Amino acid sequence: MSAAQAWLTLLVFPGGFFLLATGLLYEFIDRKLVARYQNRVGPRWFQPLADVVKLLAKEEIIPTGVEKTLFIGLPIVGLAGALTAALYVPIAGLPPAFSFRGDLIVTLYLLSLMTLCLGLSGANTVNRFSIIGATRTLTQLFSYEAPFLLALLGPALSADSWQIGQINDYAINNLWMIVTQPIGFLVALVGLMGKLELPPFDAPEAETEIVSGALTEYSGRGLALFRLGKDVELVIGLTLISALYLGGLANPLEFLLKTLCVLLVMAGLQSLFARLRIDQTVGLWWRIGALLALLQLLAITIGKVLL
Amino acid sequence: MEIKKVDEGKFVVPIGPQHPALKEPGHFEFTVDGEIVMDAKVRLGFVHRGIEKMAEQRTYTRDLYLMERVCGICSHVHGTAFTLGVEKLAGVTAPPRAQAIRVIIAELERIHSHLLWLGVAAHEGGFDTLFMYSWRDRETVMDLLELLSGNRVHYSANVLGGVKFDINPVQTDQIRRGVDYLEERTQFYQKVVTTDNTFLGRTRGVGYMSREQAELQGAVGPTARASGVTRDVRVDAPYSFYPQTPVQIVLDDGGDLTARFIVRIKELFEAYRLVRLLLDNLPEGELATRMPRRIPAGEVISRVEAPRGELMYFIRSNGTDMPERVKIRTPSLCNWGTITSTAVGLKLADMPMLLAGIDPCFSCNDRMIRVRRAGEPGVMTWDQIKAGKGGWSV
Repeated sequence: MSAAQAWLTLLVFPGGFFLLATGLLYEFIDRKLVARYQNRVGPRWFQPLADVVKLLAKEEIIPTGVEKTLFIGLPIVGLAGALTAALYVPIAGLPPAFSFRGDLIVTLYLLSLMTLCLGLSGANTVNRFSIIGATRTLTQLFSYEAPFLLALLGPALSADSWQIGQINDYAINNLWMIVTQPIGFLVALVGLMGKLELPPFDAPEAETEIVSGALTEYSGRGLALFRLGKDVELVIGLTLISALYLGGLANPLEFLLKTLCVLLVMAGLQSLFARLRIDQTVGLWWRIGALLALLQLLAITIGKVLL
Repeated sequence: MEIKKVDEGKFVVPIGPQHPALKEPGHFEFTVDGEIVMDAKVRLGFVHRGIEKMAEQRTYTRDLYLMERVCGICSHVHGTAFTLGVEKLAGVTAPPRAQAIRVIIAELERIHSHLLWLGVAAHEGGFDTLFMYSWRDRETVMDLLELLSGNRVHYSANVLGGVKFDINPVQTDQIRRGVDYLEERTQFYQKVVTTDNTFLGRTRGVGYMSREQAELQGAVGPTARASGVTRDVRVDAPYSFYPQTPVQIVLDDGGDLTARFIVRIKELFEAYRLVRLLLDNLPEGELATRMPRRIPAGEVISRVEAPRGELMYFIRSNGTDMPERVKIRTPSLCNWGTITSTAVGLKLADMPMLLAGIDPCFSCNDRMIRVRRAGEPGVMTWDQIKAGKGGWSV
């Protein structure tokens, strides 16, 4: 890969510009869908972009009592982590830009980096809402991460590879794994919602209790970067689930259709339930989520031995 | 700026006076250990408006409009309480048709208030879909009130000695249709709050208050009735047109948040029944009688059942056209005690719903207390209050 190509990959497609634009578009679709489910009008198509532009134009207040470097650095690291993760997934149905053995684990790690940054940024401030938000963010991280990982390992085991590109190829040529591993799909989908702190798993940023959780002290640029990071994570998460469970992503049209289908279901789930308390979230994941994911793995292993 | 070191080991979460959970300013301090609430404190008085003092310097007619502005949600019931008190002092009784219209408006207002509460409480629990749905349906009753009075919020139905507007047959039909629609929707909401698992997970067993506790804390309204306390002014001391249309008291023994939801939703059904019954049996006659401008000297206590519970007015007249003293005790004030006693041991995440559970109305319960020192005059002028002088605290 020449230098020009590498720059193009990082800045325009699939990293950088394309990913940010898709992220904002998907945030709009998500907000609009939830609004329509709730019988509201919802935002206009450019609202997420307008929000980001507005935030970038605003003054960034660095509160007293924070470690300044961390406060400025964490949003950048978080967004960078999410953007880097995009290089290993088949964004827009095209083969991943980079690929190596075990990149599934690296991608998941990079996605968790974002949550970790979020938690640290809350713990970095002296704001009491932020600290409680940070505690909840990290508690939630420890509860959904294991089941989510187990759920994504199911397709990896079936495909005999921990390389996202290869799992994608396997998924294209075989029966959709949502049919063969329905439990895994469900756990992965709900896990993604936990990762993105979407309702009903939005206890870490429950506005009626702790204002904005870990991000309470953030304003301007930092807040904009964290929000962009979450949008990027949403796109990558949807891509991963569609690639692994919905018969792979062979071309841009398939990417669009499949990810939007998952988003439609996710928006429905977001508007169906009341917010779970953090203890209920942890209970749900460890008592039900982890158990189901393990059962699924066991079933796959037995299947592989028998066939 | 130096960061003040707070008491080690004590982690206090302040909610308010400005906080996304609060639509009106109030201040709450929850001492937490992790997520568990160890102590709760309430501080009120941010929206004191000096209404009681204002009332002393206005005529009875002007006071009526003032009292309607004590609360934006239950404006009619404040007006009714004041009007009934003044009418009693003057020895005047409003005509039956006026009494019936007062009750119809009061019940429509209860419907609007309970639907509003359902939405707010659901929002506090992070269930925004229910919030949006119930507020959409609340528009129906708002439209009905607008149809009758021309206003969505301050309907201003009362005048001293009667009511301002009549209800004609066309309006009657429209109200019937609106109430039918709302009843159907309320049945759906009843199903949601009693069967939805995530919702029940947030309400069942949360904020339990026994009957003894509720009586000890002096709880009123749906909060008390959800703990099995038979306390409803419409039943205990029927006023206006309630003696002719008896109310069936709605009780629940649950004592928790679920019970408070159930009681309010069942009260909606009772309100629909009452509105229909009154529309069917609307007495004929005048809308208002003559009212003297000067009210004979005397004292009166007027009690009505607001959507949030018992509302009490004390009015003292000195024979002029202005009252000498008006004292208002709103139901929200009576219910605060139940918060501080039930909060301990619950999770921090339960607090917004627990607060919403009593359906608090901040601005209508903020009163002034003045601690008099020896030798100080006991009377304050309106100018002193406006200037913020006089060593008072709210």
